[in-house]
Amino acid sequence: MGLAGDLLDDARDLGAKGDAENRDSCRRRAISTAYYAVFHLLVDDFVANWPFAGQRARLARMFNHQKMRDASFAPGDKGNPSLVETQLVDVVTAFRQLQADRHRADYDTGWRLVGTDVANAITLAETAFSKWRAVRGDSAARDHLMSMFGAKR
Amino acid sequence: MEMNAPIAFTKQAEIQAAVEEVERNLAPDVVRIRFDIGEDWSGQWAIFFRVVLTDEAAKQRLREVASNVVWGLARQLDFSAMGVFPYHNFRSVSEQGALQEPAWA
Repeated sequence: MGLAGDLLDDARDLGAKGDAENRDSCRRRAISTAYYAVFHLLVDDFVANWPFAGQRARLARMFNHQKMRDASFAPGDKGNPSLVETQLVDVVTAFRQLQADRHRADYDTGWRLVGTDVANAITLAETAFSKWRAVRGDSAARDHLMSMFGAKR
Repeated sequence: MEMNAPIAFTKQAEIQAAVEEVERNLAPDVVRIRFDIGEDWSGQWAIFFRVVLTDEAAKQRLREVASNVVWGLARQLDFSAMGVFPYHNFRSVSEQGALQEPAWA
């Protein structure tokens, strides 16, 4: 299943533990882990296509969270996006939301987390997984991944 | 980084109107939506939506309802043109009842 999928499972487990034991620390780790699941989903997909297996880990470390966040994507026709474009927007939106939530979960001790925050993070990650897997072979998705890596258009 | 105030600050009436329409369209699942404009964790301008859902919607249909909210707002508001990125957070009526946070009231 790979690191990304394992992290998503971990996020679910942490969320369940947070609910069962009413533990804020587990809820925060669940949100953070959900973000990293999507982060690794995208990074692993990118580096898997690099032909030199021994260099993939180094290539993965070149990804920068902020550059990934700032990579913009908009459908060609905003009023009439294609199915692929719609799914890609959902992935990009989920990634950015998860990144912001991860930052709050890790650093904002004033954030009064509720169960819905955790459920939403896991839902967003699951959505990102399913939609990315649906579009990952499309040229728009590959192009966006290049932008997330930091390549200029 | 460009830190001039985004156009969104001058569009709050338009944003509020869009919010009210989404509330109407997605009732009763969506109880209310509040928003404010500010900087996100990285210092970029953002609009933060706080969405209160019925307990049933939050527990049983969060994926569907949250997606409807996100897309409903995006269809009506050009966030990119407003110079902000949208963030959406959700909680249930019961959760807000327990926390009593004014920003969500």
